[in-house]
Amino acid sequence: MNGRREFRPLQAEEIARAFKKERVEYLFIGKSGAILLGYPGMTQDVDVFPARSVKNSKRLLAALGKIGFEIGADLERDILSGKDFVQIKSGPFDLDLIFAPDGIESFAQAKDRAVMEGIFPVANLRDIIASKRASGRQKDKIELPLLESFRIEYEKRNAPTLQSAREKLARKPQK
Amino acid sequence: MKRSDQQTDEDFREQCRRQMERPLKLRLKYGFYRVYRPVMDDAAWRSFRTMEEYRQWCERELPEYLGYRRAK
Repeated sequence: MNGRREFRPLQAEEIARAFKKERVEYLFIGKSGAILLGYPGMTQDVDVFPARSVKNSKRLLAALGKIGFEIGADLERDILSGKDFVQIKSGPFDLDLIFAPDGIESFAQAKDRAVMEGIFPVANLRDIIASKRASGRQKDKIELPLLESFRIEYEKRNAPTLQSAREKLARKPQK
Repeated sequence: MKRSDQQTDEDFREQCRRQMERPLKLRLKYGFYRVYRPVMDDAAWRSFRTMEEYRQWCERELPEYLGYRRAK
């Protein structure tokens, strides 16, 4: 795809501000989320985990439109129709909307355990790692040991020890 | 002198500690970039009904060196 607009990394802040203004329920996940928490890596994708509802998707569409994403009728329809994964490259960032990330049970559980890093709502690092582990991709296999080392250092500074939603669910007493 | 895995891990952990000390604006500045990725960047957008469909698309369409295929 040619003719893409100038890339400025701080435009992530514009996304967070616009989402807040439109009251979009979402979390940063993936490597971009880990980077926001202090992981010393790089990525070109911004991975966002929005709550799946028509109301939230309409808010999300309004926010994306305001910060310069080109949203045509077909893309709008797919976002509203509840697809699991939508990848958008027609804006200031490469943006992945992941409505059903691997390894995370539900948005509500992930949100319950999320953290705020400045203006960015970020999924729990353990959820980020669980999601990457569940995806089973080559690039994640390489990254996982580094993310685990980062988690150890991160949790030294951010007690109490966090659990992924999956771990929390596994510890619930069985009825 | 070859560094041990333990030394390499400790070096990386030190990087982690330094990065967490840095302001959020610097993490953003140096954490995000953009380069062209063949196939993946050749459409304005795409969507998938399920994550499994997306994974299958990655397997089928993306060059292996991008790392999006399933690990063996």
